[in-house]
Amino acid sequence: MRFMVMVKATKDSEAGAPPTQELLEAMMAYNEELVKAGIMKGGDGLQPSSKGARVQFDGAKRAVVDGPFAETKELVAGYWLWECASLDEAVAWVKRCPNPMPGPSEIEIRPLFELADFGEIVTPETAAQWDRLKAESEGQG
Amino acid sequence: MRVMVLVKASKDSEAGVMPDPEVFAKMGVYNEELIKAGILLAAEGLQPTSKGLRMRFSGSERAITDGPFAETKELLAGFWLWQVKSFDEAVEWLKRAPFDGNTEIELRPVFEMEDFGEMVTPERRERKENLRAEFEKRPG
Repeated sequence: MRFMVMVKATKDSEAGAPPTQELLEAMMAYNEELVKAGIMKGGDGLQPSSKGARVQFDGAKRAVVDGPFAETKELVAGYWLWECASLDEAVAWVKRCPNPMPGPSEIEIRPLFELADFGEIVTPETAAQWDRLKAESEGQG
Repeated sequence: MRVMVLVKASKDSEAGVMPDPEVFAKMGVYNEELIKAGILLAAEGLQPTSKGLRMRFSGSERAITDGPFAETKELLAGFWLWQVKSFDEAVEWLKRAPFDGNTEIELRPVFEMEDFGEMVTPERRERKENLRAEFEKRPG
């Protein structure tokens, strides 16, 4: 199973505070473990929402709203993509993660959709597109 | 630069309602355009939060809360990772996405090593590059 593991934002990450040397070291060591275990499929840190924007879709209308966005604890500050045998395995790995923030923080684990999950709406054409998409995103993230 | 495009959840996505086949097909075409333009690095859909969980870190404590989670419009339902020349280019591409109805999508630049300045020592850069090389050569 593939999972997205999301680190939620905090006031510190939204303020653009750089990680401490200690956290950077701990996170690098943790990432190395994930790679050695064959779990790591990708991951990135996101810049604060002040550097981002939102696009609102309503019919044919597109409205752009610049960041920052207020609901800090619902924002994403970073993520990994993992391949694990089960949700329990992903949970066990998250438990070993160094606290990614200076204060209390939260990580959300979400299984990813696979093509088979879409059932009947998959046509041969969309299946071929899916394969091309996955080939394109191989080793990315 | 790389930009992450975050698709917010809706009542339907949280309820596990399958996309309209027409919208699903349009999204396939849009993804093909992104590939042809050399922009698309990754694209994934997330299962509803009822299938997920959250872990709270506080000191050495780890507390788990199972989904579903209530604040639907702040939850994530999927994402793309794009390689673009500028943030504006990402905004322009996003405007062409085949979303109808009331949808909000968030664009966030991704940190690159350069953004960490002096913290990225030559030793750390090498470790990071070795790591990337190692996971890229793995199958699947």
